[in-house]
Amino acid sequence: MVSVLDRKLIREVRSSLVMLMAITSIIAVGTMSFVYMRASFHNLTFAKWQYYAQCQMADFWIDMKKAPLVELDRLDKVAGVTALRPRIQFSATVDLDRVAAPLNGTVLSLPDLRKPVLNDIVMQSGGYFTDRRANEVIVNSAFARAHAIKPGQTIHLILNNRKQALYVVGTAISSEFVYTVAPGSIAPDPKHFGIFYLKHSFAEEVFDFAGATNQIVGLLDPEHRERPQSVLREMEAILAPYGVVTAYAQKTQASNQFLSDEIRGLGIFSTVMPGIFLAVAALVLNVLMVRLVDQQRVIIGTLKAIGYSDGQIFLHYTKFALALGLLSGLVGLGLGYAMADYITSIYQMFYEFPRLENRFYPGTYGAGLLVAMGCALIGSLQAARAALRLKPAEAMRPKPPVQGGAIWLEQFAWFWQRLSFGWRLVLRNVFRNRLRTAVGIFSTAMGAGLLVCGFILASAIAYLIDFQFQLVTHSDMDLRFKDEQGYSALLEAQRLPGVDYAEPVFDIGCTFINGAHRRRGAISGMTAQRRLTVPRDIDGRALRIPNTGLAMSRKLARVLDVRAGDHVTVVPTRGRRDALRVPIAELTDSYIGMAVYADIRYLSGLVGEEFAINGVQLATEKSPDARATLYKSLKELPAVQAVNARSDVIENLEFIIETQKIFIVFVVVFAGVIFFSSLLNSSLIGLAERRREVATLRVLGYTEWQVGGLFLRESMVVNTLGTLIGLPLGYSLAWTLALLYDTEMFRFPLVSPPRVWIGTIVMAIVFACVAHAVVQRAIYRLDWLEASKTLE
Amino acid sequence: MFEPASADASDALLRLEDVGKTFQMGEVPVEVLRHVTFDIHPGELLVMVGPSGSGKTTLLNIIGGLDSPTVGNVWYQRQDLAAATARELTQYRRSSVGFVFQFYNLVPNLTARENVLVATEISREPMDVDRMLDLVGLQERITHFPAQLSGGEQQRVAIARAMAKNPQLLLCDEPTGALDYETGKHVLRLLVDLKDQLGKTVLIITHNAAIAPVADRVIRLRSGEIHEIQENPQPQNPEEITW
Repeated sequence: MVSVLDRKLIREVRSSLVMLMAITSIIAVGTMSFVYMRASFHNLTFAKWQYYAQCQMADFWIDMKKAPLVELDRLDKVAGVTALRPRIQFSATVDLDRVAAPLNGTVLSLPDLRKPVLNDIVMQSGGYFTDRRANEVIVNSAFARAHAIKPGQTIHLILNNRKQALYVVGTAISSEFVYTVAPGSIAPDPKHFGIFYLKHSFAEEVFDFAGATNQIVGLLDPEHRERPQSVLREMEAILAPYGVVTAYAQKTQASNQFLSDEIRGLGIFSTVMPGIFLAVAALVLNVLMVRLVDQQRVIIGTLKAIGYSDGQIFLHYTKFALALGLLSGLVGLGLGYAMADYITSIYQMFYEFPRLENRFYPGTYGAGLLVAMGCALIGSLQAARAALRLKPAEAMRPKPPVQGGAIWLEQFAWFWQRLSFGWRLVLRNVFRNRLRTAVGIFSTAMGAGLLVCGFILASAIAYLIDFQFQLVTHSDMDLRFKDEQGYSALLEAQRLPGVDYAEPVFDIGCTFINGAHRRRGAISGMTAQRRLTVPRDIDGRALRIPNTGLAMSRKLARVLDVRAGDHVTVVPTRGRRDALRVPIAELTDSYIGMAVYADIRYLSGLVGEEFAINGVQLATEKSPDARATLYKSLKELPAVQAVNARSDVIENLEFIIETQKIFIVFVVVFAGVIFFSSLLNSSLIGLAERRREVATLRVLGYTEWQVGGLFLRESMVVNTLGTLIGLPLGYSLAWTLALLYDTEMFRFPLVSPPRVWIGTIVMAIVFACVAHAVVQRAIYRLDWLEASKTLE
Repeated sequence: MFEPASADASDALLRLEDVGKTFQMGEVPVEVLRHVTFDIHPGELLVMVGPSGSGKTTLLNIIGGLDSPTVGNVWYQRQDLAAATARELTQYRRSSVGFVFQFYNLVPNLTARENVLVATEISREPMDVDRMLDLVGLQERITHFPAQLSGGEQQRVAIARAMAKNPQLLLCDEPTGALDYETGKHVLRLLVDLKDQLGKTVLIITHNAAIAPVADRVIRLRSGEIHEIQENPQPQNPEEITW
């Protein structure tokens, strides 16, 4: 049985439906963003742990040149190590008949017979190796999809300088390649990079690795899993004679790091975004409720006179808010579920999971509903308390008329005198309704802030790509060699068909040590007269590569606790592997990774060579024919390990930018909800309060448009102030997010091209105009003759 | 809270002893009521007249438990309302008094019937809602909202609402103040009938002295003090008076 007061409530909800819908939409969006981000967070986390468990994801990886398998016995005895698996791992060039360019891949060995192993695979199509042929291969699903490779086909890989025909038995995925990025790359590119699993016996034979391994993966006990460094150090020492290239724990494994960073980011966003919306919703609701209680003071007084207790009245108004919170919350949950579904489908494009699905989390959805109701409750508290405190005798007396005194601006007589009557009315209203104006400014500031922040984050990705491909990298194609080469390789590259110009690259992996601080990384050696790669600092200035010593990224320097002028110990992973004391000549900044640069001759000297290169960058002819000829010759060069064409990389990154655009659309829609709803609410409340004023103006001969113009100007004043505050606010928000997102792999460039600011201002104006359209309609519909007669 | 009532209060429904009320207007204390002492007897119709600002409404609020006096006692049966807590006052308003206001104070979003139900829902021994609406002659209009009713009809709903809780005491603040002459007289008739037929105690405050002849007793208030209490052994019918 619905009580009479509840019936009153329901009718009040119905009569202020537009305003309540506005607030409902803000709470709903807040709840939605909370729910979908938390749900996506759980979806990814759940899928990750399930997948890692399914594949027995390793806790550490050790890459080396070549170690006999007998050494594994010694590793087994290291305290903390619970399982080990040796395997053979090589880079390979893929030669697909239908693709002109040589493609890149990583080859990994798997047991000939199916048995559970560390870093296992999950078959997606076809089957595991058979005993019918030695040259069977399992291809990673994304690459197979990109090239329509099906079980039963034959593909060609250059393995150990020999072109091998391999029979595809199946396609598979593995937990170590959830986010499949080629070494040194930042985005998955399934068209140009694949993972190929070979029978272990075949890999031993092809790479001449019988009884040997060049990669060990393993598990640690729970205690050492958290602190793997000492165990890794111990194993590195044991394997040192076999040329340890790198040893790393799961935390820094590329795929895991990308995935974990994404999950962490969702965690951060899931508090920031809903926080903004719910704060705005609570404040806007507060304005509405305070107005409602004020409007109903006589009713409240009467109810109290009849014998309703303060508690019952408080509950009545709180119930109003809770009903609103419940409704908005439920809408938010529904939208949140749909959004989580959509986001999960986006993740499926970037992350390879056997099962990534959107699940229903009662805890998250329950919390979302509670958050929505809590927000509504907070928003109504001030009003409900006012209703609670209202003394019945006082409530019965008509409210004293609002003081119509001069506002602060009127002190500036010269300014005030120059204002039209309309502007004076507008400014007086803006200044007299301080709470409403403040809430309006706050809301629009948040909306504008959200837009600025969203635009900046989107610009960041575009800027990063621009920065990398317009300022830093100018080469059309980068080649990487399997082994170190001498100067002759550069000359040979220069003679390739269609090559205009070539520059040498020499990268060496190494471990940087300063006291207790260590970090593995790499040094890029380049010539002083380089043209095709121009390393720059974040301000876009070309970096000076010192003749001696290193130019080290500030981030790495911080990790190692070194300054410019200090020395750092460098242990290269190739050459003589002597620990070398090297001066740090300069500190630099970069967006991606922790780059360290050195002069190519200086770097060659460090590893005991006169002039070594392991890659070249090429400027080539752009015509498709010339490109095809070049690709053809590259396919015949066994020394080439990887080929990366600028156009392919850019094309792949553009796909990511496209996905970013969807994100921008969401941000604009969400910000629009805040702008639209808060301005609409404020105007409609103003209109309801000033019905008589509007009626009087109409009686005086003002048209609907002229009256509407007054309200529009009020909205615009609030909107302009809010937007002006929102611009720096959004920048600060982006700055904070950039700081929170700042990882060793990646750094957000905080760029704000004019389109960020102009876009925000234009959107703010558009939203205000759309909100005003509703208000203008209400003015048209106002029965002003009736309004001029009735008391509020 | 419950104090022994004074000896001669036994026949009074409500007794005011030396009641005073002072409002603080900014820094200036304004004494609205001074030394007000009188009894309200069960089943009488009492009219309190006085010009605007004489303290009528303040006195009504104190009697109705909407406000407390600054000094003095207000005994309702054996309870001193002057010393009652907010909860006790709410209980008092809920069960013992009914209010009729000059501007009716109906809830605009509720129908006539619902406006009466709003009172009976919190009442322990309510009267039948439909019977009350029948009594005030509104059985045909029960589904109408206040905006669809005339002033007289709205006031009748308000009276039905006040009576539906079955209170001992009905407090009417200028009940005819917003009504035209004929409708005003009808409302007065209704109040007299409530006293005569249901035995209710009715207190009417008004600045319209012409209403006084319908009362059993008339209290004249002037500048916050009782100027005169006048017994009226032969009350007139509302139909006989004019203003």
